[in-house]
Amino acid sequence: MKVKYIINGKEETYEIHPGEVLLDVLRRNGHSEVKGNCYLGTCGACTVLIDGVPHTSCTILAAKVNGSEITTIKGVGSLNNSHPIQKAFVEKGAVQCGFCTPGTILSAYALLKKNPDPTDEDIRKSLDGNLCRCTGYVQQIESVKLAVKLLKEGKNE
Amino acid sequence: MLKLKGVEDVYYPGTIKEAVSLLRRDKEGSEIVGGGLDISVLPNPRIKHLIFLDKLGLEYVKKTEDGIKIGATSSISFATDSAPMQTYFNGKVKEILNEIATELLRNQITFGGSLGKREPYSDIVTMLIALDAKVVLSDGEWDEELSIADFYKGNFRKLIKERIIKEVILNNFDSSYFFSMERFVRNATDIALLNMGILLKLDGKEISNAIIAVGSRPKPAYLFEEGMKYAKGKSLSKEFAEEFGNFVESHIDVDKDYRVSKEYRAHIAGVFAKRILLEAMEG
Repeated sequence: MKVKYIINGKEETYEIHPGEVLLDVLRRNGHSEVKGNCYLGTCGACTVLIDGVPHTSCTILAAKVNGSEITTIKGVGSLNNSHPIQKAFVEKGAVQCGFCTPGTILSAYALLKKNPDPTDEDIRKSLDGNLCRCTGYVQQIESVKLAVKLLKEGKNE
Repeated sequence: MLKLKGVEDVYYPGTIKEAVSLLRRDKEGSEIVGGGLDISVLPNPRIKHLIFLDKLGLEYVKKTEDGIKIGATSSISFATDSAPMQTYFNGKVKEILNEIATELLRNQITFGGSLGKREPYSDIVTMLIALDAKVVLSDGEWDEELSIADFYKGNFRKLIKERIIKEVILNNFDSSYFFSMERFVRNATDIALLNMGILLKLDGKEISNAIIAVGSRPKPAYLFEEGMKYAKGKSLSKEFAEEFGNFVESHIDVDKDYRVSKEYRAHIAGVFAKRILLEAMEG
């Protein structure tokens, strides 16, 4: 079957198997920035935003979200035009091996869109599905707090 | 990784009537998809047809005279972000829901999907039974309202091959009611080793009625009727909380699995019951 998505602002049409999950469809079509790992929704590496809401793309049936707007990490910022959250992650040392980073930043991005002034608890809750085996999470939480500051100072998109 | 190899086609019905008609065409080979978490994590190779409910307008949380109506395709996050849930049981139910799984999964798990699957470890099912919530089934022409406890007493799997879960209704409770829930998990993302929800109707310190639901035992959630009878008419006190905890530990219907022994589960159940009663004493 054919599905249509708007991925990072660009309309895409893909041929899919109706039983496939979104992660596989995205990666097969060049979106290798979306990482795959557990296929159970437990690690969060495959996080994407679907109509602005973070989801594990390994548990989302690609056919179910036909017509949706999908944001991957490339829709948030790039190497030459980083988003304040990405800058904050680099500055605070919240990136080590980098495998979980796209998903974690997307969860943080969705949080700050919904709640620009989160508490520590809000930050922890919003990142609780993105496992990181390198940083110990402290730096990630500090990064989101720094990003809040950067965004308030107007260093935003 | 192709998870659902047997799927041949998918449908996006625009009405409940249309969804029911598609479902009845091949009851065994069709699957109604709420959030789709369960089906993607535990894929069933016999499924040939997927019926998505996203176009039915069942994503809502409404406050009505009867209570709060939650549409079947509403996710946990959608519900906890809604205005009516901020004040329901002083935000306690919202707080409990926000402890389930992770933010990413709370964005996918739906109320209808949780009820339809009745996974033994489901915290939502235990919570809804304890809250004496109702489920509304519909074929598009006729809606039937059932208490969730009654829904599971019958052959609910047959019912949901004939009709669609349309919504869940949370009853209104006045300030004489107390509700709390406990769940034991090894880490934040784990499924519970045991969960327990208790609703108490209090007349001063006297428990005039109690509803106790226990799940992840590892069998599906059930009403612990012996405990409900035992608690009824008793007065809340530290001594009774202790006594009740002991009663629950020795009478609860739990079993062992590869994660935990029967005795340990029963012990946790006793601790939870005592803890909830002490919490009720503190108000």
